Amino acid sequence: MSPNTASSTGKDKLIADEEEVLQAVILADSFNKRFKPLTTHKPRCLLPICNAPLLDWTFESLALAGVQEIFVICRSHAELVKTAIKNSKWSKPGAGLKIVPIVTAKETFTPGDAMRDIYTHGIITSDFVLVTGDLVSNIRIGDVVREHKERRKTDKDAIMTMVVKQSGVNHRTRSKGDSAVFVIDPETSKCLHYEAVTGYPPKKYASIPREILNEHPEVEIRNDLIDCSIDICSVEVPSLFQDNFDYGDVRRDFVHGVLTSDLLMKSIYCYIAKEGYAARVRDTRSYDSISKDILSRWTFPLVPDDNHPGGHSYEHLRGNKYIAKDNSVILSRTCKIGNNTLIGSKSQIADNAQVTASVLGQRCIVGAGSIVRNSYLFDGAVIGPNCVVEHSIIGSGVHIKESTRVERGCLIADGVVVGPQAKLVPFSRLSKRREDSDEEDEEFEDAEEHCEAEDDDDDEGEDADDEDEVDSELEDVEANQDPEALAKLGPGTNAIIWPLPAVDEDEDIDELEHPDNQRLMRIGDDASDLVLSDPGSVTSSESESDSESDDDDERFYGSNPASSTTSLPLSTPSNLVAQADSAVISEFQQEVKQSLDRAFAEGHSVDNAAVELKTLRMASNVSLRLVREAVIAAMVSRIKIMAGGGIPQRQEIASMITRWGGLIDKIGGVDAVETVDILQEYCASSDRLPLFGQILAALYQDDIVDEDDIRAWHGNPKSQGQNVKSTSLQDSYNKCWVTGAHMIKQFDEQDSDEESEEESEEELDDDNESRDPALPSAGANSSEEDSCEESSDEEDEGNTDEDDSE
Amino acid sequence: MMNFDVTAVEVVTREFVAVILAGFGNELHPLTGEHGDVPCPKALLPISNKPMLDYPLSWVEQSGIKDVLLICPSSHRPAISHYIHSQSSSASFSSVHIDLQTFDESQELSAGTCSVLRHFANRIKEDFILIPCDFIPPPSLPLSKLLNKFRTDTMSDGSIVTSCWYEHKLDKQTTPDEWGSPAKPTPIVWDHLSGTLLYVDSPHEAVKNSDELELRMTLLSRYPQAKLSSRLLDSHVYVCKRAMLDLLAQKTRFDSLREDFFPWLCKLQYQSTKQEKYATSIRIGVIIHRADDGFAIRVNNLPAYLEANRHIITENEIHQFVADTSIGDFTRVEEKSTIKKSTIGKHCVIGKMVKIVGCVLLDHCVISDGTKLDGCILGNSTTVGSKAELTRCVTQAGYEVKDNESVQHEKLDISDWAAQPEDSEGDIEDSTGEEGSDEDED
Repeated sequence: MSPNTASSTGKDKLIADEEEVLQAVILADSFNKRFKPLTTHKPRCLLPICNAPLLDWTFESLALAGVQEIFVICRSHAELVKTAIKNSKWSKPGAGLKIVPIVTAKETFTPGDAMRDIYTHGIITSDFVLVTGDLVSNIRIGDVVREHKERRKTDKDAIMTMVVKQSGVNHRTRSKGDSAVFVIDPETSKCLHYEAVTGYPPKKYASIPREILNEHPEVEIRNDLIDCSIDICSVEVPSLFQDNFDYGDVRRDFVHGVLTSDLLMKSIYCYIAKEGYAARVRDTRSYDSISKDILSRWTFPLVPDDNHPGGHSYEHLRGNKYIAKDNSVILSRTCKIGNNTLIGSKSQIADNAQVTASVLGQRCIVGAGSIVRNSYLFDGAVIGPNCVVEHSIIGSGVHIKESTRVERGCLIADGVVVGPQAKLVPFSRLSKRREDSDEEDEEFEDAEEHCEAEDDDDDEGEDADDEDEVDSELEDVEANQDPEALAKLGPGTNAIIWPLPAVDEDEDIDELEHPDNQRLMRIGDDASDLVLSDPGSVTSSESESDSESDDDDERFYGSNPASSTTSLPLSTPSNLVAQADSAVISEFQQEVKQSLDRAFAEGHSVDNAAVELKTLRMASNVSLRLVREAVIAAMVSRIKIMAGGGIPQRQEIASMITRWGGLIDKIGGVDAVETVDILQEYCASSDRLPLFGQILAALYQDDIVDEDDIRAWHGNPKSQGQNVKSTSLQDSYNKCWVTGAHMIKQFDEQDSDEESEEESEEELDDDNESRDPALPSAGANSSEEDSCEESSDEEDEGNTDEDDSE
Repeated sequence: MMNFDVTAVEVVTREFVAVILAGFGNELHPLTGEHGDVPCPKALLPISNKPMLDYPLSWVEQSGIKDVLLICPSSHRPAISHYIHSQSSSASFSSVHIDLQTFDESQELSAGTCSVLRHFANRIKEDFILIPCDFIPPPSLPLSKLLNKFRTDTMSDGSIVTSCWYEHKLDKQTTPDEWGSPAKPTPIVWDHLSGTLLYVDSPHEAVKNSDELELRMTLLSRYPQAKLSSRLLDSHVYVCKRAMLDLLAQKTRFDSLREDFFPWLCKLQYQSTKQEKYATSIRIGVIIHRADDGFAIRVNNLPAYLEANRHIITENEIHQFVADTSIGDFTRVEEKSTIKKSTIGKHCVIGKMVKIVGCVLLDHCVISDGTKLDGCILGNSTTVGSKAELTRCVTQAGYEVKDNESVQHEKLDISDWAAQPEDSEGDIEDSTGEEGSDEDED
C-alpha cells in the first residue's frame, strides 16, 4: 500500500485540489531513559521492532493517514536520525512524503521544549498531526483530521483532538504505569478533564472538578482508553507552549493545563477510535506487547508479510510464524519454532534449539539446544549453544556464549559479549565497556556492515558528538562496577552492569519515572509483589471507628501496609494537594522575595519590578494578595529603624515609600484596603509595629491609600484582630487599629472645622497624651515603647504638616 | 416516644411489602401549615384533585403488591386514617391492605428516613420497597420494572437494593425565589451497562472538597466506562433486600438515606475492607428514568407542586373547559370568569369576572368577584376578597385576602390563629366544623 497510495494522494493532486498540505510533526526523542542501555548509542526511534526501526513504522502509519509533510524533531543522536531518514525509502523520489529532520538544541528536555522549538522555527502552517517517533498505528488519521477541521469551523477554540483507543482496563498495550482517566462529554467528545494515573504508588482518587458539571451535566468517565499519542493540533498549539514556558509533557502539562485554565478558553476533544490499532512504544513492556500485536496482525495492513516498513519480505506461516522469504534462513531439522515468531533473513537456528514468541533480526544465530522465549534479538545477535533467553531484549551484535542463562527482563546493549556459563540475574542491564569500544566496533563491523545503513557509518562520529550527559552517565556506571558481579558474567565478557534503578535523593524525580512505577513498564516484570489495587480499600481503618467519618479516618489517618513494605510514604491525595499548594506558595514567596531583593539591590525601576512580579504570579497562579504581602513586607522590612525616631525616621519612611510605594498598585490590581490590611498584619507581627502609623501616613501622602480606604479598613472587624489567635498579636493589631482610629478622627476634624486648624492640632496633642498610656500597657515591645510614642507623635505631626500644605 | 403497636404481625409468605413514608412536607409550607388546629398532611394535598398519596398507592397496586406499610406522623393519623378508610380510596385500592403506623416527631425536628426505617425494622419481615408519598411515577415506569430489575440483580450477583433516579428537565424557573428553589439534583456516578449505582455525592463530600468530586480508582477500574450526571434526582424509591435493614441497624448515626446511607453503601461495593467488615459484597442497581420517557417528579417543594399540577391532567375530570384546566366537583364558577391552565378543587366558589391563570386552588376556596389570580397556589378554604390581585403567591389553608389587596411573590401564612379576628367563615377557626366539611366532600 504505502508508497504508491501515498504518492497518488500526493502533492500534485492536492495542489490541484487547492487543499492544504497535511503536516505531521514527529517527536523522535523519547525524553526518558526507559530503554537504557539499549539507547546509549542509538536513539529509541531507531530501535527495531519486528525488524524495522520504530521511526519507519511511524512513517508508514503517517503515510497511511495521508500525511504529506513530516518534520522529525530529533535531539539525541540527531545525526543518526538524519542519516536514517536520508536512507529511508521515504526519501526516494516519488515517495510522496517530504521528510524534514529538525535538530533541536541539546537543552530540549521535554516534548514541551520541542514544541517551543517548533514554534520558533515557524514551520507549521496549518493543522498538523503530532505523534511520537515510536508509533505503530493503522488508524485512519485522515478521518480524525477531517473531523477536527470540521469542528474548527464551528468552534475556533477547539485546538486539539487526541486520538484514544477504546480497550479494556487491563489491555496489554494499555500502560499500567502511565495511563489516564478521561472525562468526556459523550455527545461532543469534548475532553473535559484529564487525570494522569500513575501505577505505583497506586493512585487512590480521581478528582473531577465539580464545575464541569455546570456546563456539561452529563459526562462519561473513561478509564479504558489507550492514549495513542496521536494529536491533531491547530496552529496555536506550539504558540501556547511558547506562552506557557513551564509546559513539559503534552498530556500532563499541556492538556491538563489547557483544561484547567480559566484564562486560555481553549478546548480539547477526543477521538475515540473503535476500530484500528494504535499504540506507542513507551517502554520495554509496551515494546513487548506491540511486537506481539504486530505478530498477531492487529496492525493489519502493517504486518511483516505485507507493507513491512523495513522493506523486508516474510512468509506468513500458520501460527503467525514469519520467516524471511529469501531462503537465507537456515533452520535445522530438529529445531522448534513456536507461534508468533519472526525470523529475519540469514539467521540460523541450530539443532534442538527452541524459539517461541520471539523476534529474531537478520543474521541471528541460535546455538544448539538453546531456548529463546518471548525475547527480541536484534540483528547479528549470537546465542551460543545451550543458552536460555527469556523475556529479554538483546541488542545487535551481542554474543551470548554457551550455557548462559539470561533471565527475564534483561536488556543487553549492542556489542556486549557475555559468558560462557554466565547467569544473568533478572532485569540485568548490560552495555559494552567504553574504553575498548573502538576495538569492539571493529569486531562487530562485519556484522553491522550488512545492517541497515543507519547503523554503521556513524558509530564513530556519534561517540564524539554524543551528549555529555550520556558520557558522564556511562562513566559513572563504569566507575561503579562490582567486580564480583562482573565476574559472574563469564571470563570473556566486555560488559558493564548498569545499576538497578534507584531513587536519587538529590534528583527531583518524576512520579512517573519512579523506579517502582517503571517496574510496571518493564519487559517481563509482572510486578506481582507491588500492591496495585487501591490500598485505601485494603487498609481502610474503618474497623477502628464506626462513624460517618470513617472515610475521613481512612483517608487521613489510615495506616498503609503498602507504604510500610516498600517504605514509600504514600501521601494521601488531599494531603498532597495541600502540600502542593503550600509548596507552591512558599516557593512563590521565596521567588518574589528574591526578585524584590534584586530589584532593591540593583535599583530597578518600579515598572520593571512590577513586570517581573506579574510574571512570577502568573507562573505559580497564586492570589494577588500574596504578591501584595510580599511587596509590602519587602518594603517595610527595608525601612531602617532610626534609633531616635523622629524626623530621620520619617524621612527614611518617606523616601522608601516615594521610591517604591508605586509598586504596590502596579502588581496587577489596586486594592488599597487590602494594602492597609496587609501593612497592619505585617507590622503587627514584626518589630516594625511602631512604624505602622508613619508608614500609613506616608502611603496616604503618596496617594496610595486615601481616606476612604483607611476608613473601610478601620470599619472591618478584622482590623481589630478578631481572627487572631494569640493575645500578644491581638494587642499589636489593636495598637495599629487605635493608630488608624486617630488618623480617622483627624480626618473628621479636618472635615468638620477646617478653619480652626490650630485647635484641632491641640486636640490631637491631647489625644496623643491620652492614648500614650494605653500603649505601654499592651506591653508587647516594651523596649520600643519610646520610639513607639515618638513615632505616633511624628505621624501626627506629619499629618498636620500635610494639612497645612493643603 | 415512639408509638409501639403490639398487634402481632401475621406470618405470611409475601415477596414484598411497600413502605410508604409520609412526612410533614416542610418544604411545602405554607400549604402544609395547620388550618386552625387541624394539620394539613402533605400526603393528602391534592394533585390534580387527587390526594398525592393516591399516586404511589395506585403504582403499588398496579404492580400486584398487596401489603402497604404507611408511616406518617402521629398528628396526621386521624386525617390519613380517615382518608384511607373513606369510600373514595378504599374503593380504588380494594386489593391493597394498608397498615397505618405512626411515629412521634415534631414538625420542626423531623427524624431522618434512616431513623424511621430503623424504628420500623421489626415490622418489615421481607424484602420491601421504600416509596415516598410524594413521588408521582410516570406511566412509562411501572413499579414492576423496578421489581424485575431487582429480581434479576439479586439472583445474579447479590444486588441488595435497586434505586431509581429520574431526570428532570429544568424549565426556566417560573416560580419566584421566595417559594424556595426546586430540588437540586445530586451528582451521581453509575455504570450504564450493568445498571449499577457507583457513587452518590453527599453534602459531607461537598463540604470536604467543594471543587472536585473524588472518585476512587478502584471504582473506575471496575467500571471503566462510568457515567457522571448532575441532572438526576433521587426518586427515593428503593427496592431493598431485608438485609439492608441489618446494615442500616449497624450504622446508627446515619440520618438520611440519600445523604448518608447511600453514599456509604456505594463505597461498600468496591472497598474490600468495608466488605470484610460487614461480611457482605453487594451491588446497588439503578434505573435511570429519562425525562423524554415520561414526566416524573417528587412533589416535595412548592415549585414542584405547581409543576406537578400543571402536568398531570387526570382523565376522569368532568368539567374540562379547556384542555389544560381541571375543575373539581361541586365547584361553582360564575359568569364572565376565565380560567386557564389551572386546577380548581372541589366545592370552590368562583365569582364573576374572575381571571385565573396558571393557578392551583385547593378545595373550598372562595374567590370573590373581579379577582385576578396569576400563578398562585391557594390552600384549603382560602378566601379572596373582591378585586384582589395575587401574583405568584401561596396561601396557608384558611388564609383570607382582603378586598382590593394586591400581593406579589409571597408566601402568605397565618402565624397566629388566635389573632385572626375577622374570620368570615366560622368553620375556619372551628376545627370540628372543618372536619365536617371534609365529610361533606366525601
